[in-house]
Amino acid sequence: MRISKLRLGAGYTALIIISGMFIIPFLWLIRSSLMDLSQIFTMPPEWIPRPFHWDNFQRALTFLPFDTFFRNTTIIVFSVLIGTVLTSSIAAFGFSRIEWRGRDTVFAILMTSMMLPAAVTIIPSFLGWQKLGFYDSFYPLIVPAYFGGGIFNIFLLRQFYLTIPLDFDEAAYVDGATYFQIYMRIILPLSRSAIIVVALFSFLASWNDFMGPLIYLKSDNLFTLALGLQMFQGTYTAQWDLLMAASAAVVLPCVIVFLLGQRYFLEGITLSGLKG
Amino acid sequence: MLRQRKSMSVLIALMMLLVTILTSCSKANTASENTASPSASGDEGSNESITLRMSVWGAPAEVAAYKFAIKKFEAQFPNVKVDLQHIATDYDTKLTTMVAGNDVPDIAMMESGSIAFPLGEQGKFYNLQEFLDTDPDINVDKLVPNIMYSLEPGNVIGIGPGPESFGLFYNEDIFKDAGISPPPAKVSEAWTWDEFVDVAKQLTIDNKGRNAKDPDFDPKNIKQYGVNASTWWGIYSNFIYSNGGDFISADGKTFGLNQPEAVEAIQKVADLMNVHHVSPSPVQAKNIPATNVALQTKKVAMAIDGQWTTANLAQSKFNFNVGVLPVMKEPVTTVVAGMFSIFKSTKHPQESWELLKALLDPEAAIDMITSGTWMPSYKDWYTDPELIAKWTEGLDSRPSGYKDAIIDVILTKSHQTPTGYVKNFNKIMDVVNPALDKVWLGQQTAQEAMDAIAPKAQAQVKGRRDIPQ
Amino acid sequence: MRKGLFYGLLFTAPAILGFIIFTLGPMIASLVLSLTDYNVFKDQTSFIGFDNYSRMFSGEDELFYKSLGVTFYFVVLRVPAVIILSFFIALLLNMNVKGRAIFRTIIYLPSIVPAVASAMIWMWLLNPDLGLLNSVLSWLHLPTSNWLYAEGSVIPSVVLTTLWGIGSTVIIFLAGLSGISKQYYEAIDVDGGGWYSKLRHITIPMVSPTIFFNTIMTIIGSFQVFNEAYILTEGGPNNKSLFYVFYLWRTGFRDTEMGYASALAWVLFLIIMFFTYFVFKTSKFWVHYEGGGRT
Repeated sequence: MRISKLRLGAGYTALIIISGMFIIPFLWLIRSSLMDLSQIFTMPPEWIPRPFHWDNFQRALTFLPFDTFFRNTTIIVFSVLIGTVLTSSIAAFGFSRIEWRGRDTVFAILMTSMMLPAAVTIIPSFLGWQKLGFYDSFYPLIVPAYFGGGIFNIFLLRQFYLTIPLDFDEAAYVDGATYFQIYMRIILPLSRSAIIVVALFSFLASWNDFMGPLIYLKSDNLFTLALGLQMFQGTYTAQWDLLMAASAAVVLPCVIVFLLGQRYFLEGITLSGLKG
Repeated sequence: MLRQRKSMSVLIALMMLLVTILTSCSKANTASENTASPSASGDEGSNESITLRMSVWGAPAEVAAYKFAIKKFEAQFPNVKVDLQHIATDYDTKLTTMVAGNDVPDIAMMESGSIAFPLGEQGKFYNLQEFLDTDPDINVDKLVPNIMYSLEPGNVIGIGPGPESFGLFYNEDIFKDAGISPPPAKVSEAWTWDEFVDVAKQLTIDNKGRNAKDPDFDPKNIKQYGVNASTWWGIYSNFIYSNGGDFISADGKTFGLNQPEAVEAIQKVADLMNVHHVSPSPVQAKNIPATNVALQTKKVAMAIDGQWTTANLAQSKFNFNVGVLPVMKEPVTTVVAGMFSIFKSTKHPQESWELLKALLDPEAAIDMITSGTWMPSYKDWYTDPELIAKWTEGLDSRPSGYKDAIIDVILTKSHQTPTGYVKNFNKIMDVVNPALDKVWLGQQTAQEAMDAIAPKAQAQVKGRRDIPQ
Repeated sequence: MRKGLFYGLLFTAPAILGFIIFTLGPMIASLVLSLTDYNVFKDQTSFIGFDNYSRMFSGEDELFYKSLGVTFYFVVLRVPAVIILSFFIALLLNMNVKGRAIFRTIIYLPSIVPAVASAMIWMWLLNPDLGLLNSVLSWLHLPTSNWLYAEGSVIPSVVLTTLWGIGSTVIIFLAGLSGISKQYYEAIDVDGGGWYSKLRHITIPMVSPTIFFNTIMTIIGSFQVFNEAYILTEGGPNNKSLFYVFYLWRTGFRDTEMGYASALAWVLFLIIMFFTYFVFKTSKFWVHYEGGGRT
């Protein structure tokens, strides 16, 4: 696709202006993480720390057992990631590439799980997990990911699967392929972008999840980073310099994951080659 | 077709395996934890080791102080181990789910403005009066007034680890540079409201260096506010009480904030913002940081705040001090405090009571007290000069005005927080707060706003906890 | 498409089981609780029929209607704003420009900055006296606003702050755009069509499944707005940002009326379901699926 110079220039300008606005919260976080308390709150705000308080990071990260928190978070995040990608991509296949009676009704029923405010299901869910004996373990945070990984992800993948021409499946059936082979060899490779988006979202969601660990964990040796961050905040008073430094340290891996991850859906796959 | 079924089942089996492996890492930790904390049977008096669970909120420094007090307690009671659960945010949500799951701690820090009374009303807490009546070490007379919370007279659901009162904190250098004498510390010399407003005007400076008394003063560009009086009820309640008003009538039957005394107090606080321009409006206040930073950076010259702010002030290296609040009619300070409550479900009520006592003991909580966060809960720490010296002398958190402005007021001039005695306080305030928003923004007078909602607020009035029903 | 109830159920089994095991129970529990006076702290819970629902609709609870109105206003403003803006940004990011990896990352950054940190930003950006937005507006000689702190402007201001969080929506659009074959555009080039006809005849139809997804998710998410009230406004000024779920949460947890909160939740559930169903029904007129045209 060719783009005229004028349009490219206009596009650049728009991108730079928008990026300028969107980077403000992140810059704010970074600069606050390097300031002392009084400078964080100076109004109008200052952007360059004077002096640079690199020690904020050291103080924040040694204040609480962040190595334990990091280990716990890693276990949860990767378990959730694998489960979500596996089961949501399989389920989405069943909701889009196989025709069966009641399929769309079942899908509609699953959609309703997003429509009831969590505030009223927290307690029943908690009681359920507790009855099963899994209170104060990672199971409540991980296991659901292996059962569909959330309707959000299934719905998202379903939408992408539906854009793949049916001719592909038909051709494969004629060649004697099974559903599973079609899923593995046609649908998965063609939906790479969407699968990576699902992986990315599930990583970030479970990395930043605070409510789940708060409700289901009790022992502090199981706590996660997101839960640890709250400890700087307190209920009535916050240690803002440490909170900001710890937040920055927790956010950084997300930024790196994103920078690396986005490369894979940057270049779209072209259907043309396959379509022939 | 067969192959397909096989590959699916292999895949599912693999998934299950993966979950098991990954989560088993986490279970290993809890297993060792659980064996260390068995819920021991209630065998009293035996040397069998027991574990008490206690939940608190608080900033890291406060948690460190709790741990210190607990260590002292454990040294005294070698068979008792305390398992401290720190729930930093969303404390009520977490505690509510724990109650739902019958997994409550033995002893918990509670807040009178949130779920303490709802829990108490359902009989979830021990009546601490029963312990107080028989305890050889402490009784009601030993405790500072207004730190006990009662469901009704004689039914104490919680005792605070110490009172928290309000004072007028200020930056000494600002007063020195302006050549103005700082807020008096002694109650007998307290400023009248007009004197207070006058000083605040002199110390409110716009970006051209003019103060609020200057006819050219520009209220849109204020560099330094004379005072920061936030719109939190904790702050303005001081002045309502000082002016002889209340949130609710003495018989607990009538809504009180539309009565002349309360209205006048609210109006005067609102006038600080909208008429005199000496205190940031709720809008401007969003950019005023915590008191210690606001005073240090000279965003404000004085700040009306709770005494707990001294803990942060002590760590900010500048010359701060504290004076007594300006007086409308009577000198009064509201006392707010958290509380410790003992859950009915505990298997070890006596040990829990001992732990509660240990947390009340100023000697054990000395770090919290000297750091500035708490004040002692025992009366004699306010009267015995030797004990007073322990927590007020030579400490960064206790400036020279502290003894007169804060300590002397507590024993005789204090008033309980409205959350402690007004039934249904939150629901009443759900009606009041939206109306007050208009008062703070200068869109309505206090009288108009309170009269407008008085019938609706009256519908939420359910009586008082401090008078017999 | 082949028929196959067995394989259909086999592939969707994890999701269906997951729904039955983890979601259905709590949902039914809350539905039953909505017919009771459930209070978590109370040992006795009694069945009170539809009293909770009649309390809502009888007008006894003014805040029910108030919070519903506030939330509808928010949804009406936010959904089109999110969809249009994120689609526009996705189009920009899909251009073949240098450094788009960086641009994409920047657009997503606000979504991962912790809420407590970004709340401070809004306080500053939207501050009437010192805030960046008003400084820019007055520099341009445009009227300024009290933003979050005035009854009239609080909802638009909250919508504005949520626009910083559209990173996910943009990313989903980008994934959709990346699937469009260049050949389609080349065909338009051959026919001599400009960017508008490309957008109209290729881009929009091709990403319509993604537009559909984002619209549904934005509607569901907007009706359940909570954090902004919880962190930024606490429902004020004068209850003008008392969002429905914030009110519901306050009723359930602070006032411990979980039975009534459950009833409130189920009314919202029905409202969201109605709108989702409505959008699903319209989709056959505008959503284009290469893979068979079914929804």
